[in-house]
Amino acid sequence: MLVRLSSHALVADPRVVLRVIRDEAVATPRSLRAWYGLLGILVLVGAIGAVRALFPGDKGVATTPTVEWGLLIVAYVFFAITTSGLCLASSLGTVFGIDRFRPLEKRHAILAVLCLVTAFGVIALDLHYPVRMVFGAALNPTLSSPMWWMGVFYGIYLCFLLTEVWSIFWHHERIHSIACLLSSAMAVIAPSTLGAVFGVLAARPYWSGVFTPILMVASALLAGTALLGVVFYVVARLHLAGFERAGVLAVPAIRSVLIIALVFVAALVAGQIIVGLTATDPGLSAATNALISGPLAAQFVGVRVIVGLVAPLAILLVPLTSGARGVLAAGGLALVGVFADRLTFVSAGQIAPATATSGVVSAPYASYTPSLVEVGILVGAIGFVALLYTLAERYLDLRESEVHIGFSLPLRVGGLWSPRTVADAPAEISPTITIDQVAGAPAATNDAPPDELPVEVPVPSAGEVAADEPSFDDAEPETEPVAATGDEPDIASTDALVEVADADGQPPGPASGEVGPVPVALDVAVAEPSVTPPAPAAPRDAPPSAEDAP
Amino acid sequence: MTDPLVVDAGRATDPMVDRSPAAIPITRRQVLQLGVAALPCLAGSTALYGWMSGLVNQPTAPVDPIVASYDPTAHRWAFVVDARACIGCGQCVVACKQENGVPFDEEHTRTWVERHAITEDGVLFTDAPDAGIHGFPPGSVAPGPDPKAVETTQFVPRLCMQCENSPCTAVCPVGATYRTADGVILVDEERCIGCGYCVVACPYGARYLVPAGARTPTGVAGVADKCTFCYHRITRGREPACVEICPVGARLCGDLNDRDSNVSTILRDEPTRVMKPQLGTIPRVHYLGLEGESV
Repeated sequence: MLVRLSSHALVADPRVVLRVIRDEAVATPRSLRAWYGLLGILVLVGAIGAVRALFPGDKGVATTPTVEWGLLIVAYVFFAITTSGLCLASSLGTVFGIDRFRPLEKRHAILAVLCLVTAFGVIALDLHYPVRMVFGAALNPTLSSPMWWMGVFYGIYLCFLLTEVWSIFWHHERIHSIACLLSSAMAVIAPSTLGAVFGVLAARPYWSGVFTPILMVASALLAGTALLGVVFYVVARLHLAGFERAGVLAVPAIRSVLIIALVFVAALVAGQIIVGLTATDPGLSAATNALISGPLAAQFVGVRVIVGLVAPLAILLVPLTSGARGVLAAGGLALVGVFADRLTFVSAGQIAPATATSGVVSAPYASYTPSLVEVGILVGAIGFVALLYTLAERYLDLRESEVHIGFSLPLRVGGLWSPRTVADAPAEISPTITIDQVAGAPAATNDAPPDELPVEVPVPSAGEVAADEPSFDDAEPETEPVAATGDEPDIASTDALVEVADADGQPPGPASGEVGPVPVALDVAVAEPSVTPPAPAAPRDAPPSAEDAP
Repeated sequence: MTDPLVVDAGRATDPMVDRSPAAIPITRRQVLQLGVAALPCLAGSTALYGWMSGLVNQPTAPVDPIVASYDPTAHRWAFVVDARACIGCGQCVVACKQENGVPFDEEHTRTWVERHAITEDGVLFTDAPDAGIHGFPPGSVAPGPDPKAVETTQFVPRLCMQCENSPCTAVCPVGATYRTADGVILVDEERCIGCGYCVVACPYGARYLVPAGARTPTGVAGVADKCTFCYHRITRGREPACVEICPVGARLCGDLNDRDSNVSTILRDEPTRVMKPQLGTIPRVHYLGLEGESV
């Protein structure tokens, strides 16, 4: 039985599928199998929690009428702002055409879809009647409810993200440009509406106000950038697809954005605390006091401020620790900080109860400790995202796409944006030129100290890649003939090869005399024409300056 | 190594073949086939939509508590609590829980009784042990861990304020909580999704999500619940359960459209206060003799 997909036919015979899965499992490196096992356990824990949370009215959660929104809402907000932040961070490459952010394209899109789907899953588990929500929101829209708008915007955002993923893997350049632009716009609109869900509540002084949506968008940018920092360190460290430019360009670029996001969020958090300390509203004062010196002080001062803001900023700003590993550490800490931030935010809004039913004295602090079910669902959600992303990293072609450089619609500003596909590029233009250079900005690699990444990410030859122990690709021979590979992404990269050859009339490679010494990966392609290189041999994939060359 | 999952269809490896979408010919026959295939899909989705509309678009108000002869537009319900008269016995809480199947715990409650103690330096302390179900035992203390001299103490019964400008109805994403023409805010149990947004949006803490096992009239767990002024009673000409049970007449419910009703008379003749007037919610529950600023 065959399933036709594009120009391929997939075998749907269960025996063949099982055999392939078995062969694949055998060929999977042991370290990767252990990683799968760990994530599988996390997902299993989450699944058990999810099943427990299916019963309306008896979900096994620890929330009370006083603290009605607990860890599941925190988890939803965390994943929802992270998915937006991924889009915001990568829009610098996908929308504004800054070349050094282009390695983010595919990975951000896949991660964003995974985070958003996870967010939807978590919120569905938090609701007592999630199916009613779908029909109710569609058939009885309440325009006065920010929650309704939030659902609409995140739903639209999901559609744009899926379009983005589809167009980048199936090479629809114009659709991809539009999808990137629209999803980036939605990445601002959706989290700010999520902020409005909290911000409209006059009953909760700590949440109330126009400040909340801004803080939510800032946290989104921080979370997305931090996650990309972690992912790209891993990509560069394990030599995953497209690791050369990811290590040389994306990690330093993410470091810059991460610093900006950390400073931005720190300023907003400081402002929020100053407002709270000087407030006359008893609810706001009580919440702020709870954060500074009350039951939330450990979470807020310890985790949110010191671990989540001060430590990452210090790591990134001190030259000794600002390398790629610093980006990993700062990204991880910032992610923890964003989660703690959302946790303290949701808790602080409810810690000054509106009534005395749950307390004994005036201004009693409401208490809430998450149940095992809630913690399990959170753990499972994290495992779910990590597991699916690992599978995507292993089985999808996440190299940089040749789909577009920046935004190629009417948004051209003089000669600054000159979108070109590789196929369009005349031969006399150096294929290593970047948008930054066109715009007169310093070369992208200026931000990457040449002495830094070779230490962290040595650029190996193809043989070294295959032999590298931690690589996910070590079970897949790099010398696979084109004719034998069949999955779509490989065909896509072959397209790029063909197009380059057609445009230049030359085989892909260092055709122009202006190009500096080519990187090792390109050498392989030229030296062994019968072998398909792991990375597309399109000239733009070359590290773009001669300074990097040996 | 050939991937056994994939059988190459012959075009993939040929660089001369244009694989761009524009190059794939679409025949008129295929378009017609698509159209024919789409027709039953359209018909099916239309039928599904109609079925779902019937499923979800229930009548706005639950039919059960409203008697046929009741005209909501002819009434305007309001509530008066006399904080000077309340003795904190808690019988109203018990009556409400029994009448409406509310769980007998302090967190899930439609009405409760607080004790407000104002110390000599003007600080208001509140407590409500067990939501006031058992009254206020002599051992319980109001002014907190560092007791100060108490100047004034009063019992303050609490319930849903049935706000005219109600945050709960504004934020409900599916319109499950709504205001009737006579001013009472109800919850459609068949439409509520249990998100808890109205619970956190209520400035008065008057809402909760029904826990499993509660003896609610419909037995629906996981949906929002709150005081309805005993809507099933007032629409039949009876008084709410808490009003009926109160031994000192500290609770009064009446129709503002009736100029001679007890609440109309009090609101016209006596000074009353509402809770948290600064929020602009315009409550329909008014308090007589309520002391303290922070309420």
